[in-house]
Amino acid sequence: MLLTSCADQLDSDKYFEDRKTLETVFTSRQQSEEWLAYAYSFMTNELADVIGKGNGHYHCFADDMYYGDRDPQYGDDGEYRHTYNAFKLGEYDEDTGYWAWEKAYKGIFQASVFIHNIDMNPQMTAEERIDRKGQARFARAYYYWLLLRKYGPIPIMPDEGIDYTQNYEALSIPRSTYEECAVYIAKEMEQAAQEIQYWKRDPLNIVRPTKGSCLAARALAYLYAASPLANGQLKNGKHDPSVKDDIAKLLTNFDGTHLLSLEYDESKWARAAAACRDVMECAAGYELYHAPYNTVATFDRDATIDPPADGNFSTKNWPNGWADIDPYLSYRQIFDGEVGMADNPELLFTRGYNMCTDINNSITSLVAHQLPSSLNGWNAHGMTQKMVDAYYMNDGTDVPGKDSEMNGGDGSERVQGWTTAKPGENNFRNFPPLAANVSLQYANREPRFYASVAFNGSKWWDTNPSHTTSGTYNPVYYYRGGDDGYTNSTRYLRTGIGIKKWVNPGDYRSTNGDYDHIQKKYETAIRYADILLMYAECVNELTQSYTIDSWDGSKQYTISRDEAELKRGIQPVRIRAGVPDYSAAEYADRDVLREKIKRERMIELMGEGKRYYDLRRWMDAQVEESKIIYGCNIMMTAAQKDDFQKIVPITNLPTTFSEKMYFWPIRKEELKRNYKLTQNPGWQYYD
Amino acid sequence: MSALAQKDIEVTGHVVDGSGEPLIGANVVVKDVKGLGVITDIDGFYKIKVKEYQTLVFSYIGFASKEVMVKSGSKTINIKMEEERVNAVDEVVVTGMGTQKKLTVTGAVTNVNMDDLKHFSSSNLSNTLAGNVPGIIAMQTSGQPGRNTSEFWIRGISTFGAGSKAYILVDGFERDNINDLNIEDIESFSVLKDASATAIYGSKGANGVILITTKHGKAGKIQVNGKIESSYNTRTKTPEFVDGITYANLVNEARLTRNQPRYYQPEEIEMIRTGIDPDLYPNVDWMDLLLKDGSWSYRGNVNLSGGGNTSRYYASISYVNDEGMYKTDKTLRDKYDTNANYKRWNYRLNVDIDITPTTLLKLGISGDLSKRNSPGMLRTRTKEDIEDSQNQMDVWVNDDDIWAQLFGYNPLLSPIVYSNGYMPMINIGRGNSAMLNPWVSATQSGYNENWSNNLQSNVTLEQDLKFITPGLKFTGRFGFDTYNSNWISHQQAPALYSAFPRNTQTGEITYDRVFDQSDMKQSSGSDGSRREFIDLLLHWDRKFAKVHNVGANLKYTQDSYIQTQNIGDDIKNSIAKKNMALAGQVTYNYNNRYFVDYNFGYNGSENFADGHRFGFFPAWSLAWNIGEEKFVQNTCPWINMLKVRFSHGKVGNDNLGNERFPYLYTLDSTDSGWDWGNGHVNGIHYTQVASPNVTWEVAKKNDLGLDIVILNNRFSLTVDYFHEKRTGIYMTRNYLPWSSGLESSPRANVGSVKSEGFDGNFKYEEKFGEVRLTARGNITYSKNTILDHDVENNVYPYQYTRGYRVDQVRGLIAEGLFKDYDDIRNSPRQEYGEVQPGDIKYKDVNGDGVVNDGDIVAIGATRTPNLIYGLGVSVMYKNFDINLHFQGAGKSTFLIDGMCVYAFSNNNYGQIFKGMLDDRYVDAQTAAELGIPANEDPNASYPRLTYGNNSNNNRASTFWLRDGRYLRLKNVDLGYTLPKAWVNKAHLNQVRFFLQATNLLTFSKFKTWDPEMASSTGQNYPITKAVTMGVQVNL
Repeated sequence: MLLTSCADQLDSDKYFEDRKTLETVFTSRQQSEEWLAYAYSFMTNELADVIGKGNGHYHCFADDMYYGDRDPQYGDDGEYRHTYNAFKLGEYDEDTGYWAWEKAYKGIFQASVFIHNIDMNPQMTAEERIDRKGQARFARAYYYWLLLRKYGPIPIMPDEGIDYTQNYEALSIPRSTYEECAVYIAKEMEQAAQEIQYWKRDPLNIVRPTKGSCLAARALAYLYAASPLANGQLKNGKHDPSVKDDIAKLLTNFDGTHLLSLEYDESKWARAAAACRDVMECAAGYELYHAPYNTVATFDRDATIDPPADGNFSTKNWPNGWADIDPYLSYRQIFDGEVGMADNPELLFTRGYNMCTDINNSITSLVAHQLPSSLNGWNAHGMTQKMVDAYYMNDGTDVPGKDSEMNGGDGSERVQGWTTAKPGENNFRNFPPLAANVSLQYANREPRFYASVAFNGSKWWDTNPSHTTSGTYNPVYYYRGGDDGYTNSTRYLRTGIGIKKWVNPGDYRSTNGDYDHIQKKYETAIRYADILLMYAECVNELTQSYTIDSWDGSKQYTISRDEAELKRGIQPVRIRAGVPDYSAAEYADRDVLREKIKRERMIELMGEGKRYYDLRRWMDAQVEESKIIYGCNIMMTAAQKDDFQKIVPITNLPTTFSEKMYFWPIRKEELKRNYKLTQNPGWQYYD
Repeated sequence: MSALAQKDIEVTGHVVDGSGEPLIGANVVVKDVKGLGVITDIDGFYKIKVKEYQTLVFSYIGFASKEVMVKSGSKTINIKMEEERVNAVDEVVVTGMGTQKKLTVTGAVTNVNMDDLKHFSSSNLSNTLAGNVPGIIAMQTSGQPGRNTSEFWIRGISTFGAGSKAYILVDGFERDNINDLNIEDIESFSVLKDASATAIYGSKGANGVILITTKHGKAGKIQVNGKIESSYNTRTKTPEFVDGITYANLVNEARLTRNQPRYYQPEEIEMIRTGIDPDLYPNVDWMDLLLKDGSWSYRGNVNLSGGGNTSRYYASISYVNDEGMYKTDKTLRDKYDTNANYKRWNYRLNVDIDITPTTLLKLGISGDLSKRNSPGMLRTRTKEDIEDSQNQMDVWVNDDDIWAQLFGYNPLLSPIVYSNGYMPMINIGRGNSAMLNPWVSATQSGYNENWSNNLQSNVTLEQDLKFITPGLKFTGRFGFDTYNSNWISHQQAPALYSAFPRNTQTGEITYDRVFDQSDMKQSSGSDGSRREFIDLLLHWDRKFAKVHNVGANLKYTQDSYIQTQNIGDDIKNSIAKKNMALAGQVTYNYNNRYFVDYNFGYNGSENFADGHRFGFFPAWSLAWNIGEEKFVQNTCPWINMLKVRFSHGKVGNDNLGNERFPYLYTLDSTDSGWDWGNGHVNGIHYTQVASPNVTWEVAKKNDLGLDIVILNNRFSLTVDYFHEKRTGIYMTRNYLPWSSGLESSPRANVGSVKSEGFDGNFKYEEKFGEVRLTARGNITYSKNTILDHDVENNVYPYQYTRGYRVDQVRGLIAEGLFKDYDDIRNSPRQEYGEVQPGDIKYKDVNGDGVVNDGDIVAIGATRTPNLIYGLGVSVMYKNFDINLHFQGAGKSTFLIDGMCVYAFSNNNYGQIFKGMLDDRYVDAQTAAELGIPANEDPNASYPRLTYGNNSNNNRASTFWLRDGRYLRLKNVDLGYTLPKAWVNKAHLNQVRFFLQATNLLTFSKFKTWDPEMASSTGQNYPITKAVTMGVQVNL
């Protein structure tokens, strides 16, 4: 008796009843929402899809976009930081950007606790509980997806979270194979799609994932598992002698087993195609955003520039043609903040305005770095000539002189000459939307070009009423000696080509350098256009027919390489962009079409953080990322404008690619802690 | 026995000592009759009424008691008392269950003779332990008054967990430290070292126990003891620095040898030498300016004891005043004191009351008040720094920083005061803090005061329960302590200026006002705690058939400790720390020859979750008293005692440091959250995960001991071998993979340490005519090995702590200096910056072709010595006595570093130790340029100089490893006791004059500062060397 009562004296739990416990959290609606909010909170910065540059997150920069600032070697920017060059040359190490790993797993743990506790919440309805559980499951699987994309195969944690009271041996969970990871993510996404109750969200919940978000992420996981890097190293359907395929042999688990498939399995393409179909045929009714035809120029847009008639799309209305839409605005407004999230039928998943906690990594910062100095921008993010050349002419042909510096291209030469203000053949009005005194290299290009590329002499809107120069629409030139040309600092465009994607006509920076006058832009993490192009890519690889169940088992797809199915993926993107369809010959040839689809992705998804990973999964990075970067000759003044337009190698943006750059390195400290974890090939284990 | 047969008799008599001198105040009591007793008068006579056949007991401090039965008719009983010689066999030892004779002790218990400790004059008891008490490893790290205490560990450090400190009990009550005790108040001091001795304390005894009892009064005439002493304190070793000229030349060398222009031109050095322009070219010896040659300490103590028939008392009061070493500004002397002073008053009152013949009530109140003073020590920053911050002044929390400033501010930086009266401050450059000259920070920036107040009260009730069964006793204790401390910091700053070179036209110096005057400001803070105890003990012992000695104890304890200030907002901190324990002991011995003890502790700790909360810790011990065997007594009569002991047991430790309730998790709100389209939602997450399985750290201890007393009690020796294994050491698990997703580290019982060693002591006494000589010695050696530790995976086994010692020094292995550029080219690449000939060359331990952190290995031993020994001799001749005590430490190494060791690593902030650079590497070219001898010896004791930090040379390696071994004459005590005949005439009992010296000599391989200080930089208040004079008077 004495001991029992005394023993109670040691029990301090009565003092702790007022503390916050899992029970108090998960019986409260508000606090449960806060738990879920924290699970999502790591999905920012290095774990966002569209993101500025920062310490360790650069995947929006590949062979399409670059940045020139933050490089003490070429400017006065102070201490050494991870520059574009360091990043491109593989001069980063195991400690660079390791937060992506840590944060993703923190989010995974947090989501797991949510999944296993939310059922006790009495303040939510059963429907709300299962919906929230699905949201947590989506977050967890999406973290795994981000890890898989960046680090390759990764350890999958126990569903309920790890029992951390175990010894280190038991806590050392090895990597699963790429296929296992992809299937795990896909299955989790499938379950989340069942749990989540909505195909669409109302504006107050617009950032919450929908069933469609889950299906789209599932398709991505399957696509990557089918792609050459993870699927037998077959590049373009064959082992390409120009690409070393050591990576699959070298990337092994702690027990020596291979983590990437050594054998090619075509059915993985079919599986991915079916997953895309799940999105395309789902109840959400996704479609590409499109802006109506616009007959009159207004203060922030030109009148619709009609693409040349192709006898097909030009004659039909949306969705079968572009006759009643403005392709240029249709593309621009996805990114420039003009169209709200709820009004954008193309948005499959977005972090909304959450993609960063540090404004310097946000799209706002991207814009600030794209704006020319004359709008007080940082004038530092630019585009490569390779990207400029990728855009089609408005009649769907290649620009003359495309890639002519790289082994001569197709033998054609770049266009000479300039638009003029004088009447005649070269009058600028013949080449909308060009101003006078612009190189004809930029004339007659496809609408996405004009929505994305800030070429020498392109016009910038300045419509923000709080800006002193508001109301202007003037060309900006990048000649040496001009306001926006070469300077003795890091604030100039290395290639003399800038970027307009993401920029709103009202965006400017005030002279004291704040970001307040740059309109906030939501993130386009997964767009329907991406799913459509993925579908075409998958179908194009098939040599057989496959029958596959839909995600919910409600129907079956029979999938094979069929021109109609290919067009189902490609045509909407081309129509919205105002460019003609591929020719029948192009559809017929698997290898030709593959290159077309890759180019279409490069154009459509420029700057959205996709190409960096696309190049790797295609195993094209070894060739493409090491090509010399070309651009205009920025050392030329306005008087030497013809020389300015002569395309030259940009020597202060050197390139290379080594195999280790396929996957991001794992931090050494993590390898020491988890001794069943293996390092990615080419990176170090220990100091 | 019939009452009728007993008659009252009045007995008188005379009590004298061995030499026939009367003994005043000797106790004469009637045996077994409480409250009946008298004391002898000033001439040694007594008168007492007794009954026939009662027994009179005569006692006097320092003399053996005598008992005489009053026979019928005897009216005069004269007694000659013999001076007591406590022999080792009869020595009484205090253990956890009470006192027992050393003969019957089966565990490892050391009883410290307080008379030995009293030869040491120190304000702090802990400083007397090293080398005096076998089984204790101790280390003094500072000499600053009020902080000059020693850290100590029983049998060394055997855990890297939170608690390695011994458990201290004073009169049965837990105390945080022993330093606040007045040494004169201590009656007994014992150290319990093995599991069987400490089992009764269960959890708290895992690191050993120190038991102290204080003095209680004895019935009889009032006894008054007084002692006053005064010490003159100097320093054992003060670091010495090179003068300004040498410094300037070394700066130039450091720059030239690395291809930088010289800093001081020859004509400037000439100006320093001549002292012609002290504002711009000063040469100041800051050490000399700021430090006195010595300082005084005063200590006084008076205690009174005595009592009557039913109650006895002991009361004492003592005072300590240690003055600091710093010089002060004479003009401020009337306002306030900027010196480092320490004052303490101790008081104690112990009262014993016999409520009934079988009930004894003891009341005790004790406490201390202390006050510590220190200089204001203002920290300043540059103007640029200040512009960034509103807060111009910052408090140096650590007074030791005055040493950092003395070590940093070189002789050439500025004069004490500019000739126009401006106070100097040197702005070393943007990004670096500005530097105050030490004179300003020590004397012109205010002062700090610290007070502390301890009050301890306790009540003990002892009830003899012989009416239930003979030998049964109950003791109940209750204690209540409070502790409060507070500090007030008064800080100010004068306006401070930097001088610029003279204007070439006018010859005037420009002064830049770098710091505005700041008026006196104050800040304050406080700390406090409260402690309560209950302790109930049932004791029984009995002898059966004259040979079977049986005893048993059952003890229940409960205590609670609460921090009363600065508890923050976490409700965990406001909950009292509580423990409870049930402990028991059964002992049996056959005729004092064969002993068996069984002990257990059943302990609970509120720190652990239900189910992990209680621990059971048993221990047993065996002893064989060989000396009591007939065959030994017959064959070796010179053996007085020969005993072997063995004990084995488990002890638990629940000390988690400042952490509480690791089984709880903490959830908190944060602004990291998400916006789903309707505004930002905050996040909730774990800020600390729970560690539900955390429980007791367990020590398994073995002890094999031998006690020998021979040669008619003249020589005694005790040796113990011990072996201990700790498992389940509480640790933070810092190396969970990040893939676990945790944001906080769980705790667990994961560590394991083995420690073993031996301790022992001997005593030898001999009498040569009138000369009495005693020699004492003791030794403690303890070595530990980490068996398991929270670690991350590693490819190189030597990078694990497993297999190495707790806190073992780690670093690179230096292989001398690079001989030439070929040597550099042919050696593994060193990843710590560019190297030149004369820089330190390191060993590529793992052979991977580069020298980096992967080549760091355990080098040397630990900073805490693993060996402590002491040797003492006492000689008494007539009225003179002399004591000498040597103390040493071994098996200790430490790394030296900092701005003075790494010359010029902080540019010109940092002085240079005299002698340290004498054998430095000097390349031939620089030598030629400076006209000094070259020294390109790759085995030189100092690398090529660098101005600014040299990240290759200035890092932990064997190059900077020093041997911490030392031997010192810790104490000399010379006393003269006035002849009794004289003092008795003055109505005094004893008067002794004494002269003591502490830390008089130190022998050590390391010469730069005192090797005992655990300092890598020497930037601490040095340990003092003291000479003390005093007198002790007994009334």
